[in-house]
Amino acid sequence: MKTSHAVLFTILASALVVRHVEAHHSFAPVYDAKRTIVVEGVVKEFRFINPHALMLMDVADDTGKVVTWTVEFAGRLNLGEGGWNERTVTPGQKVTVTGNPTHTNSPRMFFLHLVRADGSELFPPSKARQDAIEEQRRQRARERTDGKQ
Amino acid sequence: MRQCLAIAIVAALTAVPATSQSHSNFEGMWSDPPFTAEDTFCAAWCTDVGLARLEALLDNPANDKRPFADLSAEAERYQRDQYIRPHLSDANVKKFPLDPAADPGFLRCEPWGVARQIAARHQLQIRQTGRDRLDLRYGEWDAHRTVYLDGRQRPAGQAPTAMGFSVGHYEGGMLVIETTGIAANLTSYSSDHSDRLRIVERYTRSSDGKRLSLTATLDDPVSLRQPIELKKVWSWAPTSEIAPYKGCQRPTEFSTGK
Repeated sequence: MKTSHAVLFTILASALVVRHVEAHHSFAPVYDAKRTIVVEGVVKEFRFINPHALMLMDVADDTGKVVTWTVEFAGRLNLGEGGWNERTVTPGQKVTVTGNPTHTNSPRMFFLHLVRADGSELFPPSKARQDAIEEQRRQRARERTDGKQ
Repeated sequence: MRQCLAIAIVAALTAVPATSQSHSNFEGMWSDPPFTAEDTFCAAWCTDVGLARLEALLDNPANDKRPFADLSAEAERYQRDQYIRPHLSDANVKKFPLDPAADPGFLRCEPWGVARQIAARHQLQIRQTGRDRLDLRYGEWDAHRTVYLDGRQRPAGQAPTAMGFSVGHYEGGMLVIETTGIAANLTSYSSDHSDRLRIVERYTRSSDGKRLSLTATLDDPVSLRQPIELKKVWSWAPTSEIAPYKGCQRPTEFSTGK
């Protein structure tokens, strides 16, 4: 089966960048939090394990050569809290994944966002927490403003 | 019948620990803290200094457009520089903070010692095992430790271990655990400790039973000038499960710059 065409580019979508408040173990030695890349491919395997869940995906470059990428997630203990399970990502799915690249630009990334072919999306479980906190902050700002009036 | 069963299941899942029993009211599964800025800041560990800094940042209108993650990171740096660093011994200050790439847990998949484990994110399961002991199980590394409640002393001559020797008692509604005999290892605040470390943990539960708070005092005459006090928060999480650790992989690549 021919894999999807690979797309690698840096994006400026700061809204997608969920900080690694839940990142397990040492993130900085391997991944570059200041850069973001997007990769399209087909899922080979999803390992829902501790301490880090992993996904292997086949990605074709511009010449058609297929490279297997590793996408690293937080551990099962973290993803499970957000409702993920072994079937959240399944082999054969066409996916577009956004993540932080390695410092060495090897075929490996730390997960930030995934879009399936049907348009459904996956975010790290920490996004719901971040959204709730930002809403509380907006409320706090409104109350501060109201208090001055 | 089916409706009754559904109600019973929902009731079981949402039940909180008993509030009137002092000896069993910590039992059950606890996990990630409530979705608030302050509790999230303390999901692993925090200090009063860091919390005060975070509050100041949140209250400043100039920061309203900055993402919470930025403010949290700034408060974290502040507590490391203004609280942790001044508490470290001269020898430890020189190597603070330790290089995360040198972490044995990261390099060799070595489970953490107790000084780090008590501040681990995610699940903490507390079970009474018999009348005289508690079992504390952590989602991180699926680690266990035993806390003896019968007043026993650490056996003389017992060699230090990664999780140490823990004894506990209740003070009103508070669970107090003292741990000694801890093998030299890393702490959660990016420094190391000696085998003379002594940790006192004080656990309390909110009046509604849904929030567990820890204040831990770490005292080590080798690595610290004076004791460090850390805080942490969990939420009641009866449906959460601890999964086994398997397939830990050693990293194959490292940065050329952090």
